Amino acid sequence: MVIRSLVSVVDDDESVRESLPDLLREFGFAVQAFSSAEEFLASDYVGRTRCLILDIAMPGMTGPDLQRELTLRGQEIPTVFITAHRDETVRPRVLEQGGVECLFKPFSEAALLEALNAALSDPPRSCTLGG
Amino acid sequence: MENEFSRVVNALPGFVWSAAPDGSVDFLNQRWCDYTGVSLEDACGSGWHTAIHPDDAAQLLDYWRSLLESGQPGEFEARLRRFDGMFRWFLIRAVPLRDEAGHLVKWYGQNTDIEDRKRAEALLAGEKRCLEMVAGGHSMSGILEALCQLVESTASGCYCSVVLVDPSGTRLEHAAAPSLPASFITSIIGRPVNVDSGPCAMASYLNEQVIAADLTSETRWAAYEWCPMALAHGLKACWSTPISSTAGKVLGAFALYYDEPRTPTPLHQSLIEQFTHIASIAVERAQSDAALKRSEAFLAEAQRLSSTGSFSWRVATDEITWSEQLYRIFEFDQGVPVTLELIGSRVHPEDVPMLSEMIDRARGDGSDFEYEHRLQMPDHSVKYLHMIAHGTRAQDGQLEYIGAVQDVTERRLSEEALGNVRSELAHVARVTSLGALTASIAHEVNQPLSGIITNASTCLRMLAADPPNVDGARETAQRTIRDGHRASDVITRLRALFSKKDATTESVNLNEATREVIALSWSELQRSRVILRAELGDDLPPVTGDRVQLQQVILNLLLNASEAMSGVDDRPRQLVIRTERDEGGRVRLTVQDAGGGFEPQDADKLFEPFYTTKSGGMGIGLSVSRSIIESHHGRLWAAPNDGPGAAFSFSIPRGLEDMMGAHSLGAIRTPAATEAEQVMRNP
Repeated sequence: MVIRSLVSVVDDDESVRESLPDLLREFGFAVQAFSSAEEFLASDYVGRTRCLILDIAMPGMTGPDLQRELTLRGQEIPTVFITAHRDETVRPRVLEQGGVECLFKPFSEAALLEALNAALSDPPRSCTLGG
Repeated sequence: MENEFSRVVNALPGFVWSAAPDGSVDFLNQRWCDYTGVSLEDACGSGWHTAIHPDDAAQLLDYWRSLLESGQPGEFEARLRRFDGMFRWFLIRAVPLRDEAGHLVKWYGQNTDIEDRKRAEALLAGEKRCLEMVAGGHSMSGILEALCQLVESTASGCYCSVVLVDPSGTRLEHAAAPSLPASFITSIIGRPVNVDSGPCAMASYLNEQVIAADLTSETRWAAYEWCPMALAHGLKACWSTPISSTAGKVLGAFALYYDEPRTPTPLHQSLIEQFTHIASIAVERAQSDAALKRSEAFLAEAQRLSSTGSFSWRVATDEITWSEQLYRIFEFDQGVPVTLELIGSRVHPEDVPMLSEMIDRARGDGSDFEYEHRLQMPDHSVKYLHMIAHGTRAQDGQLEYIGAVQDVTERRLSEEALGNVRSELAHVARVTSLGALTASIAHEVNQPLSGIITNASTCLRMLAADPPNVDGARETAQRTIRDGHRASDVITRLRALFSKKDATTESVNLNEATREVIALSWSELQRSRVILRAELGDDLPPVTGDRVQLQQVILNLLLNASEAMSGVDDRPRQLVIRTERDEGGRVRLTVQDAGGGFEPQDADKLFEPFYTTKSGGMGIGLSVSRSIIESHHGRLWAAPNDGPGAAFSFSIPRGLEDMMGAHSLGAIRTPAATEAEQVMRNP
């Protein structure tokens, strides 16, 4: 049995929480969705998550806040940021902070796959893309 | 019998004489001898010639010879010297006596004293001359000098002077004294107006006549040593009479001087009375002329300082009168006859239609008008004028406009500079708020779009699997539809993004509300050179709604129309705003422009948020306007004109009963980006 890599999706938008996990499962990942950063931190999936797909603008703790918190805890997770604010100044900021990629909603399947590949390639772990 | 005849002849009033056919005098009555002081012996023959005034003698003798030759009766006026050297006027009549054969045998004559008549005639002629001078606008001093000379020639042996009271009422000023020495005049003028400084000062002060019959024994005015001064100039009598205005104010004094002691006779008094009357007319006229000139000069200076000219325009005859300053503003030579054509030649070509419209309207109803228009000067510089005119009916019932024209070029230029800065600021503010709004909208729309695309990708993958996961595909497809609705909801919500302030409902007179908006936007429309015609329907029923919101819609339509014509230069920028009854008890308002119009297929897009055909605009005005009208249970629509331009109309129900259940009125809101973001973030 192939152990599927766990991808966690944290987004306050319901559309994303409903649609993205299905596509990621189609890609062959195991997926957990959370509606807030606080919910994710409180869960027991933090240590098992191989890749984090993280919304930037959320009520309460924002995406970048969550990433900083994880770094402080020594639990860094490769992170792909997503946002509906098409603000070109945001992308370099989050990449500098350690994000693997920053995708503007709505993004294509191809862009998502590319970002996931980049997130999971270093360090290499056992995973299978495309199931 | 001889004695009886002598007695009769000598008792007759006037002189009686007889002469031989050759003209040699053989009889003169005693009265003649008494008057002339010449004896009968000396006077007979041609001795009587010595009694004729030298200026009259030659003419009289010529005339006498012509009578002798023709044998016809005749009469002649001449002055005869009295024994004391005085001359008086006489009418001399001569009649021939013939025998039965018709031969001339004797001349008989009679002389009648006509001195009083001649004097009255001369005085009347002199007065007439002086009054003509007054009417002809001669200088006051010229008129008063002529008057003095008239009196001096009428009352022989006298010298006349006129002094005036200065404007402060305290000192005497010189006016006229043609025959008095300059040193005497110098010592009179500047004397204070009181009872002590001299007879003229006293007469002016008391407003009554002052008679000094003999200065050698006169005791008044000693404090100012007036008498010694006058005596030093050889004057021994002075009669001074105040000259009063018709209102009774003392203007000055008129004085007669003699070089021997004298008391005025009734003749003198009547002369003085007539003189002071004419003098008062001359002085009053001169003073009111001076006041008028001062006031004219003051007005001209005020016009120059304020760059304001004035005009009058008699509409029926197109007679136009301009003030000097208006000539300067238009840069025409002073006094050039002003015609509408002449004015038109200076008016900026783009403003000519507006001016013609104004003139036509003024001719029609005679109502007051106020306009701003431009002039194009020969050097191609542009002037901005503000004109305001008031229509009046002259006595003959003809319409006449009195108006003022101010050159507001400097103010306009600085306003334009300010306006540019302001519109830049407004643009920045608009772009900023629009930017914020756009980002917010994009965020809200991108969320469901993201879901749609992701679901579609998943759906495709499920269908492509072997075997296809049809149930999963169906579920994701349903989610796609739901996300599509979400995106649509965002747009709907956006359109409802208005302030939470509840609208007020009241009875609104749409015509009144429209007039207020026109008044508010008048200068803006003028600045944009828009010709506005308001056709506000009579007897328009009131509507119920929010007056301010309706006015915002009207203003929005007006400014849109004006903006739509900003590039129009080949035709008048005609804007019509019309109110009328509409079907179904509704009231309709239409704003029609002559701008570029729009394509028929865009008629609905015009009202979408953010749709605009204007480079500078953001187009949210129309969508908000439509929301406001719809909340009034009305309809807002656009239609292209037959000619250039478009018409925007709204139609709303009349009266309160139609508005019942209009609870949605409370939902009328005005756009605010900050509110928008808040609503979207907390759906």
